[in-house]
Amino acid sequence: MSPSLLPWFLVVQRLGIALLTLVIVSFAVFFATELLPGDVAEILLGQAATPEAVAGLRAAMGLDEPALSRFVGWLVGLAQGDLGTSYVNNMEVVELIAGRLGNSLRLAGVTTLLSVPVALSLGIGAAMYRGSLFDRMVSVLTISVISVPEFMVATLAVLIFAVWLDWLPALSYGADVSSIGAMLKAYAMPVITLSCVISAQMIRMTRAAVIETLNTPYVEMALLKGASRRRMVLIHALPNALGPIANAVALSVSYLVGGVIIVETIFNYPGVAKLMVDAVSTRDLPLIQSCAMIFCVSYLSLITLADLIAILSNPRLR
Amino acid sequence: MTKTPTNWTLRDDAMVEQMIRRGASRRDLLKMLMSSGIAASVGGSLLLRADAAVASTPVTGGTLKAAGWSSSTADTLDPAKASLSTDYVRCCAFYNRLTFLDEAGQVQMELAESVSSDDAQTWEVKLKSGVTFHDGKTLAAEDVVFSLKRHLDEAVGSKVNSIAKQMTEISKVDDLTVKIVLAAPNADLPTILALHHFMILADGTSDFSTANGTGAFICEAFEPGVRSIAVKNPNYFKGQGAYLDSFEFFGIPDNNARVNALLSGDIQYAASVNPRSSRLLDGNDSVATLVSTSGNYTNLNIRKDLNPGQAEGFIEGMKYLLNREAIQKSAFRGFAEIANDQPVSPANRYHNPNVKPRDFDPERAKSLFDKAGLLGVEIPVVASDAATASVDMATILQQSGSEIGMNLKVDRVPSDGYWSNYWLKAPVHFGNINPRPTPDILFSLLYSSDAPWNESQYKSEKFDSLLVEARGALDEERRTAIYWEMQEMVANEAGTAIPVYISNMDAFSAKLGGLKPNPLGGMMGYAFAEYVWLNA
Amino acid sequence: MMADTPSSTTPKGTTRDRTAPKGPGWRFNWVGRIGLVIILFWGLVALVGPAFAPYPPGEIVDWDYFGPVTGKFWMGTDYLGRDILSRILMGARYTVGIALAGVTLACSLGVILGMMAAVAGGWFDMILSRLLDAFNGIPSLLFGLVVVAAVGSSIPVLVLTLAAIYMPGSYRFARALAVNVNTMDFVTVARARGESTPYLILREILPNILGPVLADLGLRFVFIVLVLSGLSFLGLGVQPPNADWGALVRENIEGLSLGAPAVIFPSIAIASLTISVNMFIDNLPSKIRDRSE
Repeated sequence: MSPSLLPWFLVVQRLGIALLTLVIVSFAVFFATELLPGDVAEILLGQAATPEAVAGLRAAMGLDEPALSRFVGWLVGLAQGDLGTSYVNNMEVVELIAGRLGNSLRLAGVTTLLSVPVALSLGIGAAMYRGSLFDRMVSVLTISVISVPEFMVATLAVLIFAVWLDWLPALSYGADVSSIGAMLKAYAMPVITLSCVISAQMIRMTRAAVIETLNTPYVEMALLKGASRRRMVLIHALPNALGPIANAVALSVSYLVGGVIIVETIFNYPGVAKLMVDAVSTRDLPLIQSCAMIFCVSYLSLITLADLIAILSNPRLR
Repeated sequence: MTKTPTNWTLRDDAMVEQMIRRGASRRDLLKMLMSSGIAASVGGSLLLRADAAVASTPVTGGTLKAAGWSSSTADTLDPAKASLSTDYVRCCAFYNRLTFLDEAGQVQMELAESVSSDDAQTWEVKLKSGVTFHDGKTLAAEDVVFSLKRHLDEAVGSKVNSIAKQMTEISKVDDLTVKIVLAAPNADLPTILALHHFMILADGTSDFSTANGTGAFICEAFEPGVRSIAVKNPNYFKGQGAYLDSFEFFGIPDNNARVNALLSGDIQYAASVNPRSSRLLDGNDSVATLVSTSGNYTNLNIRKDLNPGQAEGFIEGMKYLLNREAIQKSAFRGFAEIANDQPVSPANRYHNPNVKPRDFDPERAKSLFDKAGLLGVEIPVVASDAATASVDMATILQQSGSEIGMNLKVDRVPSDGYWSNYWLKAPVHFGNINPRPTPDILFSLLYSSDAPWNESQYKSEKFDSLLVEARGALDEERRTAIYWEMQEMVANEAGTAIPVYISNMDAFSAKLGGLKPNPLGGMMGYAFAEYVWLNA
Repeated sequence: MMADTPSSTTPKGTTRDRTAPKGPGWRFNWVGRIGLVIILFWGLVALVGPAFAPYPPGEIVDWDYFGPVTGKFWMGTDYLGRDILSRILMGARYTVGIALAGVTLACSLGVILGMMAAVAGGWFDMILSRLLDAFNGIPSLLFGLVVVAAVGSSIPVLVLTLAAIYMPGSYRFARALAVNVNTMDFVTVARARGESTPYLILREILPNILGPVLADLGLRFVFIVLVLSGLSFLGLGVQPPNADWGALVRENIEGLSLGAPAVIFPSIAIASLTISVNMFIDNLPSKIRDRSE
């Protein structure tokens, strides 16, 4: 195959596999939900769940149909672009998700734009000046930051910037976003908290991967030929470390869509992570499935991108 | 706070305020303050502050942002399905009930003009005239019949289905009169109708994506799990209507985040604040608190039909092993009243003060366990964050047990699915019961032989017949006597240990006026939005 | 393979200089030594600490809460009035033990599978990678709840769950590294020599990816220490009255506004452990890190 066509072939192949993965995940999520004790009727009635009341509500909600056939019905609907209707509040799942997915993506996007460039430069810089004071400072700082639990970072940030200094609003959603300045203020704390959480992994992995490539024979060759350290890292080592770095970035960024429950809770920011938690706790299958699909799609696209970058960056893999 | 004594806390402030509301005279209060060692001059200024909070002139206008402690996609505007404080608050803002309970626990008429009966079995509800729904429709008997009958339909999934079942006939007499016939006499019907689930909807309502009620606020936006926005209803039937122009409500489940949002001024009302935050709120002049003890409790349930509850003496031993003072002081930081193992709290007028709480007596417990042959046997105690403070209570119990050689093992299980999987099922577990306005509801839900939530599987024919007798008794003295006896029976015979009644503390901006405690729960029985105002 | 890292001008000189008595690169710098000492200290506390706890971890020793540091309570008291020092000593066993077991299991499994996939390639790589992607696609909240519902809660279950949650990430990173090394000439040569797959993995690939893999392990250790307290909310964690350090921070978080020692000391315990583990890894003797033979 000609090298120029290879990426496209890979993309098509991976797309097919991604679709298959989605179906597998969907089934796994379905069986997992079925394994959980209690169903939506019982959970909705809570303490008032007498057997007759549960049976009555189940019948009214159409839950007396076998779970598997309801699930297959949902899958068929999904294939036609219909995410179904929430059991819990009879709203279209699309309607429930739409606004919150936008919120989540906005937060994830801003955080990615801020933290990825910073993390990569810090990681590469630390590798370049390995063993220097700068390197040690970056190392200790990243580990210190990540050793503090996320809920503590968030709470501390609110305490300092909202309660004591009164610079930023304590809640991000519903805060005044009429001007760019106000919007920056509303997003500042969640974005910084999340950046703290995801940057450490990217910094450390970038540093480790670059150092590893610096040790390979052909970089040594370049060095012997008299290349400068900076040139050596940027031209020779970095491209070869791109695969592992891309993977580390993908793993970190994928956390931003579904894993930010603490930040969503503390800053009262309605995103899809809280939606998923709600859905699981009410056993709202169409909503659970839809959220799981969203997380899975974002995860798969990120790692597929990382794999492609890995393949394209290493001449010997092409 | 410069004028207050150093060991004076907001809790004491709240206590003074409450005493004033209960009608304590200035002299009583001074006596109380003197006895706690506070100089009269300082006491005087404290009283001034408390007086100011109670009596201030209402101001109209403004927007209130308030946060509850729970919110999820299961948030609903359907009063029948309402299950959390968040739902109650919204329902109270958008709808009205036929009756409601005032701060003294007395029944007041809301949409009803009168609720009357001669025999406590056939009731006549007369409606106020000229009340309109938000869509312009006038309130009529059909609406009431529809709203009440919904609870009998299992497809609705009503939380009060079991209570509503006693209404065997609900029919329209004329445009403003409804007849309710009960299966058996029940003098409590006016109180039952004050439950949040019995809000009145317009006839035929089936869409709950918005609310069409008669309430003081009109629903402008409702996103389950996110927020609701309410605006003042200009045509409200009660005089001038709400003081606030608009009212936004959402949930911040994290206590710290809720308190911080209040302190930073992002919200003006933080519902149900953890007592441990009181130290943070103390000394902050811009916030105030409202403490209400309404009879909510977390209890230890030991099933009498399973081991180890079957063993003679085990239940009694556990009641003696429960260190109520430690629970009150450590788990609730004093924001709780020590209880006597029965569900009718001092906030209820039928509370029997003669049933004394059991002392913490590990030695006595030890001899009881020894007799039951259970000393040293590993006994799992199921607790969960789903039941307020139950993990702390279980830890306290476990520690007391370990000191007398009792091997209790705390089994902390997920909140997720707790009520359907562990509550009522595990041999030894914790439950959490919300306040109910009448002993009849409490006893029929929790202790009669056929009670749907018979937490300890307590069965007593005598108890069942007393329950029926009290329900139909119109003679107040006789009723009280029966309820007192029943409380004694529950305290001594049932397998439910109720260590404390939990107080609820709401924190809010000092600018907020008009709040009073209510026996139906915090946030003025969840109906605060209609009654509060924002001072400039 | 390459000898001492000639990766940059300075290290080249220094590494040569400190070869003298014990052979190349076995020297261990002071930062790494401090890290090791702290790790050993916490290891010791985990083993014998509970014997030195002044009070039982569940006993309420003070009616006050978030108490200050006093002669009686060296690290203050927690939200219920329990002694924090005793609770930290008790919690060391759970935090250190569970995190160590979890991370070892997750990383060894992930790295071995990752290298196998890279060396074997083809269908094996494809199927394993996609299966683990799919597994990672299941939200961990759901996974945790299912584990509790299906097999209940115990410490071994907790360790296995942690390993299962963190293994796919470790696999993905190790595989990405190994794929790069796999294309190098010396691996091709070894393969041409007819070396077996286990030989390739252990002698050729592993030494060449060990640095980043260890760095990854250090980070995963941090994640696991922190996630432990979250799992106890699913009923999967350490059962009361005991608690891991993360749970100590979480249950006392309200003390943060009050500057309570109850939230500060457990945080220090966590940070000292996680930072020293990573310091130790970063400063391992170059003999190990740079795998000179």
